[in-house]
Amino acid sequence: MASASPLKALLEFLRDSTLRVGLPVPLPMEEIYSWALPLRLPRMGSVILYTGALYQLMPYIESLTRYLSALEGSRVSDTLLRLARILIATPKLTRTLLAPEPARVERARRILTNISRLLSSSGVAHAYPYEDDLYSGVLLYDLGLDDAFAEVAGRVYRKLKEHGASTVITVDPHTTNILRNVYPSYVDGFDLEVVNYLEVLSRAAEESRIRLRGLVSEAVIHDPCFYARYLHIIDEPRKILERSGVKVLEPRRSREATYCCGGPVESVAPRLASKIAETRLKELAEKSKNVVVLCPICYTNLSRANKLGLRILDIAEVVEAEVPGSGSPQ
Amino acid sequence: MEPGEAASFILREYSKCMSCGFCEAACPTLPFGPHRGYGPRGRVRLASLAVENGSISAEGVAGIYTCLLCAACMLRCPAGVDIVGVVRLARELLARGAIRAPERIPLRLVG
Repeated sequence: MASASPLKALLEFLRDSTLRVGLPVPLPMEEIYSWALPLRLPRMGSVILYTGALYQLMPYIESLTRYLSALEGSRVSDTLLRLARILIATPKLTRTLLAPEPARVERARRILTNISRLLSSSGVAHAYPYEDDLYSGVLLYDLGLDDAFAEVAGRVYRKLKEHGASTVITVDPHTTNILRNVYPSYVDGFDLEVVNYLEVLSRAAEESRIRLRGLVSEAVIHDPCFYARYLHIIDEPRKILERSGVKVLEPRRSREATYCCGGPVESVAPRLASKIAETRLKELAEKSKNVVVLCPICYTNLSRANKLGLRILDIAEVVEAEVPGSGSPQ
Repeated sequence: MEPGEAASFILREYSKCMSCGFCEAACPTLPFGPHRGYGPRGRVRLASLAVENGSISAEGVAGIYTCLLCAACMLRCPAGVDIVGVVRLARELLARGAIRAPERIPLRLVG
């Protein structure tokens, strides 16, 4: 089946939105930081929890992909994307138009809240940059928009420094990789230590600084490409799950040889992304109905294609800190 | 990266390719694509041709932008071609207009 992609219009939209609003989809910044308000995390500190907005953005990107998917092949999509540029000046309107499922928005907030609590329970105090928790620019880099990416990377670095950061804790594979492996080549004098929360948590569990409990008894694990092949964060999630009492099952293609969820092309080629996700879901279903993912893009793309009734859960929905005296896991 | 530097990088990486095709078995997009430009070996060849010619076809652009950058192919490549680097730099050259390309691209899928 043939169709066409409004590639140029899409690239310009992502670039302009990220440069002007700080996010690839123009939303009010409170959508990104409001999860942290009840936790009263300090604004300043040498250890900063930086989400790069990916978990919070995914429900909106999912809505946007639904529109793009419906329009794939139609010439209207170019015109609509050009008209959509007006949204960059009106983030509140974008939020209303995209109207993601409230449960998805709430879920992202719950995951980030649990990650922050897991870090605190491990004895890792951290600050949060609130309105400066900007998108890292990963998509701009991946799509070859280097000048715009360099500008975004410089801005994100300056903001993190303004909040006092010397160490940054990241929560997803794409943001971790871009900060650890790419920012140093684009930002003069880049001097932040970049650690991923799974690394922090797995070390804390090993050193018995935290007791964990799991909310499922077993699950098949889906390694994200960027943890497995770019960052070699492979044993950490397994250790965390095992320490939580979750039996980890390995799919046919796992660890370094993991198979992509298809998510990276969901905005350029949504139907292709779904076909890849369906292929992966069949492999995962061979081992368990419970699938643990470690990346918000994997979650979104696999969930969109989930016709097999699998229970897809982020690791931060499966694992929590055991509070002393709260009894044994369910 | 400067366009000249990016172009040299792409040609150098392509020159390492032995066309063995081991990369193709690992690629998630190739089984759904209408031609080998949806796989790693094809993408590297397309990028090198685009640099040599200063232009690329609409089908070629589709191959370059459907890459997931998942790097599964690079585990299999005996020549150590930086396939992901080639694809990303080809996109950079396209975005800069250093490679001419049609504005609308076809996205044909098998099945």
